Amino acid sequence: MLEVRGLRAEVNGVEILKGVDLSVGAGETHAIMGPNGSGKSTLAFALAGRPGYEVTGGEALFDGEDLLALPPEERARKGLFLSFQHPVEIPGVRMDRFLRAGYNETRKSKGEAELDPLQFDRLIRGKAKSFRMDPALIKRSVNEGFSGGEKKRNEALQMAALEPRLRILDEIDSGLDVDALREIAEGVAEMSGPDTATILVTHYERILAYLEPTHVHVLMDGRVARSGGRELAREVEERGYDRLTAGAGV
Amino acid sequence: MSASANSATAWAEQFHAFERNGAAGAPQWLANLRRSAFGAFERAGFPTARRGNEPWKYTNVRPIAESVFTIAEPNAEASVDLAPYELPCPRVHRLTFVDGRYAAHLSTEPASEAELRSGALWRGGDGPVVGRLADAVEYRVPLAQERLGSLASAEDDAFTALNTAFLRDGAFVHVPAGAVVPEPIHLLFIATGRSAAATHPRALISADADSSATVLMSFESLDGGAYFTNAVTEAIVGPGANLRLCALQRESAGAFHIASTRIRQARGSRVSSVVVDLGGRLSRREISAALEEPGAEVSLCGLYYGDGERHMDNRAFVDHAAPEATSSEIYKGVLDGASRGVFCGGALARPGAQKTVARQTNKTLLLSPGAEADSQPKLEIFADDVSCTHGSAVGQPDADALFYLKSRGIGADAALALLARGFMSEVIAAIEDGAVRQRVEDAVAARLGGGA
Repeated sequence: MLEVRGLRAEVNGVEILKGVDLSVGAGETHAIMGPNGSGKSTLAFALAGRPGYEVTGGEALFDGEDLLALPPEERARKGLFLSFQHPVEIPGVRMDRFLRAGYNETRKSKGEAELDPLQFDRLIRGKAKSFRMDPALIKRSVNEGFSGGEKKRNEALQMAALEPRLRILDEIDSGLDVDALREIAEGVAEMSGPDTATILVTHYERILAYLEPTHVHVLMDGRVARSGGRELAREVEERGYDRLTAGAGV
Repeated sequence: MSASANSATAWAEQFHAFERNGAAGAPQWLANLRRSAFGAFERAGFPTARRGNEPWKYTNVRPIAESVFTIAEPNAEASVDLAPYELPCPRVHRLTFVDGRYAAHLSTEPASEAELRSGALWRGGDGPVVGRLADAVEYRVPLAQERLGSLASAEDDAFTALNTAFLRDGAFVHVPAGAVVPEPIHLLFIATGRSAAATHPRALISADADSSATVLMSFESLDGGAYFTNAVTEAIVGPGANLRLCALQRESAGAFHIASTRIRQARGSRVSSVVVDLGGRLSRREISAALEEPGAEVSLCGLYYGDGERHMDNRAFVDHAAPEATSSEIYKGVLDGASRGVFCGGALARPGAQKTVARQTNKTLLLSPGAEADSQPKLEIFADDVSCTHGSAVGQPDADALFYLKSRGIGADAALALLARGFMSEVIAAIEDGAVRQRVEDAVAARLGGGA
């Protein structure tokens, strides 16, 4: 589904990604772990197309198509979803209106019929319920005044509505208590299937208890330093990043 | 002969023709009012941006001064579908004017001649009087004579003078003491849009003691000519009364829209005004409130959206003439293309106006590097125990917010439209009546895009 080869990216003229290789197939869950500053979030933003994250080399193919040539909205319409570590507060823009716009533009791009406000309202209320999200939040401004947990639930709700195939979850475990983490992770797991793939960007191992990874990668200094299975994450947890890569030839 | 001299001659010819025809048969007081107003117009002429003429520093009305406009003739062929302009509520008091002429078939509750003749209709009772100004004059309603021109003086500026000189019809709204009107009063002014046509709509609103009402004035157009709307509104608000005013301007892209609203407030009264400018090639809207007795409260809000080469000028002024009165001004503009938005907010605290609270805010969102915003706060304080603040800010769309919207599949234009509407939402939320608020929201959505 996603082939990343030799991806290099700069932020403010500083090279952060120094040649990342990553191959993600349908049905897989890849955990990207790594210390602060290793480039995990940069990788997520570069794939989603955030301005200011300038790709200087390499390629990223999504279903064989050059992802990096597309503006962010088209990446989203093709089924890429980024769950933000820090969801943005947008005063005055109502949640339902915002999400309906994204939903309908995505449908339109696929030649599917758009939903009117009433139909969409029904859909979104159903989804909110399954995430135990207060339906009143749907009529509020996007993320404005939401608690940390509400923001993360809101990211999951948006994912549920847009039904993306490639989900990049950037630190969905930060700022959550254990119960909320479990609920959101279970929700994500429920939305997973043989046609979806997940990239789980995380600093800690604990989320992996709920979202079992098929692959684990350790990102160090802008490159994938090690790749492995579930056991690599345990090794990270036990030994820490420094000792993990000592002697790994990085 | 210069273009403006040409135009001045044309106005004079028109005025004399109007006196002989359309205005003939008017009571003497109105004939006098018109004549002295035209005299004031001839003396002052259209304002220019000459040095020292601060109120007109940013807005050049030469395209109006140099054009020859003629009073719009009733367009019998104009067929009007009301549906796009109607308020989404079951009950409304609506007066419709097409090219400045009253359209009975597009109005609710048109009165019969017998009703107009009977004094009872004009007294109102529990409900409001929503009638034609021309009828109020013809049937000698005392309030009309007493109050018409009492706030908007022909000496104020050339446009008010012209409106008064050519005063022919408009709205007469009287909310009797204690009457609470739950349904909105809608004054709908539709321009058929023929080029070079001028209309001078006038509204006289009296909200007596402890009454409560909502009045929406909307300006719509059927076609895109270079016509001229020159509106004047006077609102006299009695003690303890609560008046909500809204103006929705959706003139054609070639039109000139000049509007002046003057409000006088008595003890403990409350006025909330929201003005919304979405159309016109050039619009200039002035609103002023005189808080003449203690405890009066006024909120003046506005939003404007400009694209192309539109010019939109808004002025809000509050005269704190009595102590313990509160005013706030919140104006927000979204400017795209090469449009220009001007805001001048003013407050005067006269000597003795202690415990005055006056707040002013003007914020502009620039969507294009070619757009321009000018903001001028003006505070004049002659009392020592007051709290007055003002602030203005000009900014661009938030890059993080834009990316967030796009990352959910929303295209660049729709994302900008959503952000712009979000920016304006604070002003729209100040509209208390649900149907009026919905109408404005729909109009803003239609204009800016970004979905219903």
